[in-house]
Amino acid sequence: MKTLAVVVTTPPYSHLTITALNYVEAALQAEVEVIGVFFYQDGVMHANQNISIASDEYQAIQHWQRLHQNYQLPLHICITAAEKRGIVCDALDNEKVNQAFTVSGLGELVELTTKASRLVQF
Amino acid sequence: MTMIDTQVCSNVEDGNGLAIINSKAPFSSAYGKDALDIALIFGSFEQKVSLFFQGDGVYQLIDNQDGSLLSIKDYLKTFAAFEFYDIEDIYVCHQSLANRELDESFHIEGVNVLQSIEFSEALNQHAHILRF
Amino acid sequence: MTTLHLVRQSAFATNDFAQCLSVLAHQDAIVFMDDGCYNLKHSLLNSLIERIDNSLALYVIANHAKARAIETLVTINKVSMTEVVELTFNYNKVITWQ
Repeated sequence: MKTLAVVVTTPPYSHLTITALNYVEAALQAEVEVIGVFFYQDGVMHANQNISIASDEYQAIQHWQRLHQNYQLPLHICITAAEKRGIVCDALDNEKVNQAFTVSGLGELVELTTKASRLVQF
Repeated sequence: MTMIDTQVCSNVEDGNGLAIINSKAPFSSAYGKDALDIALIFGSFEQKVSLFFQGDGVYQLIDNQDGSLLSIKDYLKTFAAFEFYDIEDIYVCHQSLANRELDESFHIEGVNVLQSIEFSEALNQHAHILRF
Repeated sequence: MTTLHLVRQSAFATNDFAQCLSVLAHQDAIVFMDDGCYNLKHSLLNSLIERIDNSLALYVIANHAKARAIETLVTINKVSMTEVVELTFNYNKVITWQ
C-alpha cells in the first residue's frame, strides 16, 4: 500500500508552497493514500485566518481547503509553531484557526511518520 | 521515461526510524531548535531517531559556545539530555568539520565523526529523513 | 536502500546541492525542482554527469525548467509532478534539499 505523509514548512505566501500543493494533489489523483499533511515552522501560517493575499495571486490556503474538502485530506498544524506566530489555538475561542486545519502537537508527526511508507518534506 | 509500476522495496528492505539532518548554524535561525524539538518528541515516544550534522550544522556541536551572550535561549544545552531520550545515534560529517577548520571538540559525548561515504551509509539505514 | 533526492535550491546561492552530492549513492535519483532547476547549468552537475554510470537517474520537473527558460539536457529526464509522485515510491526514501 502506498501511504504518504507530507511535512510543509513554507508559508502560504512562499512560491515553494505551490510545488508542495501540486505534489500532494498529484498524489491524491494517483490514488496514493495521503494520510496527512503536517504543517511545521512557517507552514503553520496556512491556518492563520487573518492572512489576506491579493486576489490575483495564488491562493495557497484555498487550495489546501479544497483538497481537505474533496479528499478528506487531514491537515495538521503544530500548536507550538502556530502560537509563536500569533495563531491562537484556544479550544473555546479558536476563530484565528482556519477550520480545515486540526491543531495538533509534534506527537502527530510521530504518528504520521510511523504509519506512512514515505515521508516527504517541502 | 520508464518506471516500474511495482513497488521495488519491501518493508524488509526499508530502513528503520527517522534521521534528521541538521544543516544550519545554531544561532541566527530557529532551524536547529525546531529540529531538536522533533528529535525529543520521537525520543519520548520511544521511536528511533538519529541525528546527522552536515555543512554549517556541525557548528551546533562545537564546544564552548554561549548563546546567552546573544540573548538566545541556549537550546544546545538540551543536547546533554539525548541519553535520557535514548537518542544515541549522532553523526557528524568529517569533511564539513575539516572545511571549517574545526577539530572534534564537541559539547556532548558519543558523537561519531564519519567520512563522507560512511556518513552517507549511516543515513541510508533510515526509513524517513527530514532536513533542517 | 535507495534515495530520491529533491533538489530545490540553486547551487549558485546555497550549498544544498553540494551536500546532496556528498551523500549520493549509486542507485539514487535526483529530481531538480523550483530554483534547483538552475543547477542544470552549474559546474557541479557537469562533473556529476561525467562521473556517473547509468545507475544514477536525473530528472527535472519539465514546467519548472521551462518557466525559468532553462534548456534541459538530454541526460536529464523531463517529468511531470505525477511522475515525481511515482518516483517517490520507486525509491526507499526521500530527502528534500531546500
